[in-house]
Amino acid sequence: MSDSRGAGRLPLPRSVGAILPFLLLFILVLLPLVGLSPNITRLLFMTLTWITTSVAWNLLGGFAGQVSFGFAVFYGLGAYTAALSINDGIHPFFSFVLAGIAASAASLLVGLPTFRLKGPYFAIATIGVSEAVRVVMTNLAVTGGASGYRIVERTRFNQREHFYTAVAVAAAAIIVSYVVLKSKFGLGLLAIREDEEAAADLGVNPFSLKLLAHALAAALAGVAGGVFARYAAFIHPQGVFAFHTSVAILLMPIIGGVGTIWGPVVGGAVYGLVQEELIAVFPQIHLLLYGTLLILIILLEPGGIVGLLRKLGRLAGHSGGERGSNPAR
Amino acid sequence: MPAADVLNLLIAALLLAGLYAAMSVGMTIIYGVMKIVNLAHAGFMMLGAYFVLELHERLGMDPLIGVLFAFPVFFLGGMLVYWLLVRWIPMSDQPTLASLLLMFGLWLVLQNIGYLVWGNSDRAILTARTFRTVHLGPILIPYIRLVVFAAAASSLAVLELALRKTWFGMSVRALMQNQQAGRIVGIHVERTARRTFGLGTAFAGAAGGLLAMLYSFSPDFGRPFLLRSFVIIVLGGLESFSGVAVGALILALVETLSILVLPAGYQPAIAFGLLVLALVVLPGGVATLFQKRQRLA
Repeated sequence: MSDSRGAGRLPLPRSVGAILPFLLLFILVLLPLVGLSPNITRLLFMTLTWITTSVAWNLLGGFAGQVSFGFAVFYGLGAYTAALSINDGIHPFFSFVLAGIAASAASLLVGLPTFRLKGPYFAIATIGVSEAVRVVMTNLAVTGGASGYRIVERTRFNQREHFYTAVAVAAAAIIVSYVVLKSKFGLGLLAIREDEEAAADLGVNPFSLKLLAHALAAALAGVAGGVFARYAAFIHPQGVFAFHTSVAILLMPIIGGVGTIWGPVVGGAVYGLVQEELIAVFPQIHLLLYGTLLILIILLEPGGIVGLLRKLGRLAGHSGGERGSNPAR
Repeated sequence: MPAADVLNLLIAALLLAGLYAAMSVGMTIIYGVMKIVNLAHAGFMMLGAYFVLELHERLGMDPLIGVLFAFPVFFLGGMLVYWLLVRWIPMSDQPTLASLLLMFGLWLVLQNIGYLVWGNSDRAILTARTFRTVHLGPILIPYIRLVVFAAAASSLAVLELALRKTWFGMSVRALMQNQQAGRIVGIHVERTARRTFGLGTAFAGAAGGLLAMLYSFSPDFGRPFLLRSFVIIVLGGLESFSGVAVGALILALVETLSILVLPAGYQPAIAFGLLVLALVVLPGGVATLFQKRQRLA
């Protein structure tokens, strides 16, 4: 597992690499103080929310190699849990916690049967789960069914607070991802990704480790969904539970660089910034673009943007990280 | 409930099963030969629907003739896709995530090309046949469903014949059984795989054309049918043609009869629920049920 050490690094000199995240956080915290337009703040808020889901997906899809097409289930459940509990008068921050717990619990329900399946079969089963959940939510009367659900808060809308929530949640997700990768738990996940049978022979319990990674990832995705729901103040099944939400959550880490710490962040940032701009102008182009990118990445550079940067870094003579392995294999 | 209604439902299920089988068979042969879960199947079905629509609207061609034309066009298109993309993915005895994601990327591309070309409004193919019905005493059958069933069944019969009698068909069946052994006895694996991909794509396109005669469609058209195809081939044991027929019949029956117990809004969830159930409980397909029983006996 020698590559687990280098897996988290961008191709930068070590000192810069260590400071960069804090610099980034610092800039993000200061940005609203210099006066951002509401539109740019919204863009950054959405991008940070996407980054959170992307990092969450990567815990399961990148580290453990279990590609899921079903993360909209957790994102959506988080959104609805937060929405219902905020409307019940529960403090928003506590309702985000509830959103994470609900999504986590759902992940166990999904994972217990589906983790008996391997690789592509698991992936297909998650499509089934996510479609079934969307159909049920579209028909469920409690949450308004297909017509959606409105969140009513009795406080003034404070965009800055939303922004800082998103920064905090994204930072927490990255920290979780870092801690997982450096832990024995993370090593176990990487072992499962490389060879599940061999990992089991070495005393790793693939089933429970995958369940745990799934639950952790679902919790983060659920919190992201809750944060989004509170900001949007209106959610509906065709939005948060949509197949394209699952697709987005899957594409970001793959585009950025699957199985790394910064890959999903880069992917989420690229996706968020590009998509929020493109979707207004060309609603269809963005998925065409990402589909093409996905094909190119699978065929040419399974390491994604981070993998490409690493290669370029090596070509330029920098001592970048060791070559990350290819979990999409 | 009157017996005639039950009979009506059963006939509807049977007719639906024929279409479902034609829709899934392309996925089965591609899976069988290459172990690729072809998510782009949905994209090809969507393109097939629009292909038939365009021929119908621009040239006034009968949709059935359009479906006939879809076979060669999508066959060539499938071979092109194989040559451009699929052959770069290493062949394997096990389905790989790389191939799954590649086909998924292709599906996204096809779907969004569909949006660019045709927009996102729902379209439908309406002909003089669409609203005709056939009365057989108390039994009432929509004429178009009979036509679609006949087309699906005859295409399956031709495929079955081709797989049994031609050299290509025998190579396909050999590779489905054992790729390594097939290579040893001199089967040109690459060429067979290319043609198989073409054939699977041809069936996807044609099935899309048939579906378009029954349902309205948009560029997102293929998704529910993709998942249904997958349920069917999983129920059928993933690489068996008779399994496809059985799987199609089971799904059609469950979907049709569910109307009796579930609100119609929940009906789409049945296929997906059945998919997870089939994958988890019966990974070897329905056939394993009978094998177990034999072992016990």
